[in-house]
Amino acid sequence: MNFKHKYFFLFPGLFVLIGILIFPIIFVVRLSLSGWNSYNPGLDYIGLENYIRLFTDDPRFWESFFRLSFLSVTTVILQYVIGFALAHMVWKDIKFKRFFRVLFLVPMMTTPVIMTVIWRTFFHESLGPVNDLLSVFGVAPKWLTDPVIAKFTVIIVEVWQWTPFMFLLLLAGLLSLPKEPFLAAAIDGASPIRKFIYVTFPLMAPISIGAIIIRLIEASKIMDTVYVLTSGGPGTSTETSSFYIFIKGLREFQMGYAASMSFTYLIIMIISLTIIAKVLTKVLLKE
Amino acid sequence: MDLVANNLSYKPDDQYHLNEVSFNFKEGNLYTILGRTLSGKTTLLKTIAGLLTPDSGEIEFDGKNFLKVPVWERNVAMVYQQFINYPHLNVYENIAFPLKQRKMDQSIINDKVMDALKSVGLLGYEKRKIQELSGGQQQRVSLARSLVKNAKILLLDEPLVNLDYKLREQLREEFKNLFSKGLADETILIYSTTDPRETMELNGEVIVLDEGKVLQVGSAKEIFENPNSLKVAEISNDPPMNIIEAKISDNNIKFEGINLEAPQHLSKLTEDGLKIGLRSSDIELNENGQEFEVELAEISGSETLLHLKRGDTKIIVSIEEVLNFKIHDKVKINFKIDRAYAFNADGKLAASPFGGLNGQN
Repeated sequence: MNFKHKYFFLFPGLFVLIGILIFPIIFVVRLSLSGWNSYNPGLDYIGLENYIRLFTDDPRFWESFFRLSFLSVTTVILQYVIGFALAHMVWKDIKFKRFFRVLFLVPMMTTPVIMTVIWRTFFHESLGPVNDLLSVFGVAPKWLTDPVIAKFTVIIVEVWQWTPFMFLLLLAGLLSLPKEPFLAAAIDGASPIRKFIYVTFPLMAPISIGAIIIRLIEASKIMDTVYVLTSGGPGTSTETSSFYIFIKGLREFQMGYAASMSFTYLIIMIISLTIIAKVLTKVLLKE
Repeated sequence: MDLVANNLSYKPDDQYHLNEVSFNFKEGNLYTILGRTLSGKTTLLKTIAGLLTPDSGEIEFDGKNFLKVPVWERNVAMVYQQFINYPHLNVYENIAFPLKQRKMDQSIINDKVMDALKSVGLLGYEKRKIQELSGGQQQRVSLARSLVKNAKILLLDEPLVNLDYKLREQLREEFKNLFSKGLADETILIYSTTDPRETMELNGEVIVLDEGKVLQVGSAKEIFENPNSLKVAEISNDPPMNIIEAKISDNNIKFEGINLEAPQHLSKLTEDGLKIGLRSSDIELNENGQEFEVELAEISGSETLLHLKRGDTKIIVSIEEVLNFKIHDKVKINFKIDRAYAFNADGKLAASPFGGLNGQN
């Protein structure tokens, strides 16, 4: 199609894109090369100083980054396994199928921040119902103040909140699978378990990859749960990258430095998600 | 090892899919289930395979209650009318699938798969993806997958119906070769089809099925020569047998002002409401014959099918050459009346030119 004014028709879309995406990214890059902070708000030029500080003198950023990697990978794996199990359960003809399909989606319909407040109340160490129940057994885990347990509390809340999303994607995937290979597999002597391993799971591979990548992107932004549940504490033991960048940028107003962290984080995420997608494709699709 | 069924019934909605079906299939034989679409053929095969549980009735195989055996332990193979394969596996892996389920040795699997590929003519296609194959090749893969298992019961559910004419002819020829080549020694082969010609060519024991009911069982020749009812005569002929409402009196068959001398096997029938059945191939064009009007002329392959009308009587004539006719043309035809069948008012066979039932008895 060769049409004289074709670029003209691209402008509205391009204009929006420039406004909301391309300009902000370029501005962040420029900002990261400045020393903008609350004493000295302005776009001066300090070269790579922020980046040098980030790479040589800020272990807290890298700790929060690895913590984030751990949290997001763990939560997504758990969401995938639980989501797949639930989807597989209501995919088959069972009683009250419709009821369960809706029930499993309920967490997704709630407001994450409000739900996290409720979870915080649940896990409150002296007044919460969880420890109230556990006191019967004489234990009282420090859900929010123990550096190790607090991480798992974050994981529990994240998994509860977002498994329904995984469930929904995987159920849609299962329902779209052709029925014939399952007929063939039964006749070919595959027991239900082998049918799952050799037919259902490989047929679901493309959908699984999509669902995992979407959830990984979402999970790598874990912030609201941490903010409400533990505020990154105790100490920095549940602090994630986005939360740390938020503290540096919007609490301490080290705008230039926060911009350099954001940009570094963006590059790392693009590279690692590309690698993850490639690896998943290779492992699951054998291509 | 016989496969015996007693009074199988399956009625998932207000219609019977299977209605008191019984049979006794013996190993080493080929059984053809002939019936129109929705006659219950697929339901019957699925019941044998274990994909459906009948509402009532029993199936026994080798003296054991087959209904209690789960599908994956039944050792049956099935080829469907849609080409069913595993879309995520290549040709080789598809055929190896049933063997892998039995945890066979890799080297044995390899030999068997190669043998199967050879017998369906797909050597060299091992690494291809299923989606890259044509319909005929896909059906060959699923056939190979069912052959490779050496299943005791091999079910073929209208395997040729979704293929084009040429491929159908070719595969049918290959089927015949495969079936005759020792494959069927200890296998019970069950083949369902809507096509009477296929039934004749495969030449096995035929079960005529309609609305879930077994209408007649017999060799292909028997069904062809002595269809026991109007229904069977319709199902087992393509185009369906012509049915003419006629009266027989004074040794004459009378309809639409036509008088034909009754052949010996029809001459003694006198009851009312008789229907005369005559195959479309037993009517020929003849200058000195009876005049009919052309309603439609269709050319099918090297045949011409003439739909003719005279008064209220409509008949189909097949002519072994390609001829052009116009609608409302008048043609003259001759009935080979000595090859006519007669059916009672209730549709039962009254007399056949092959002497199945005579007016006498």
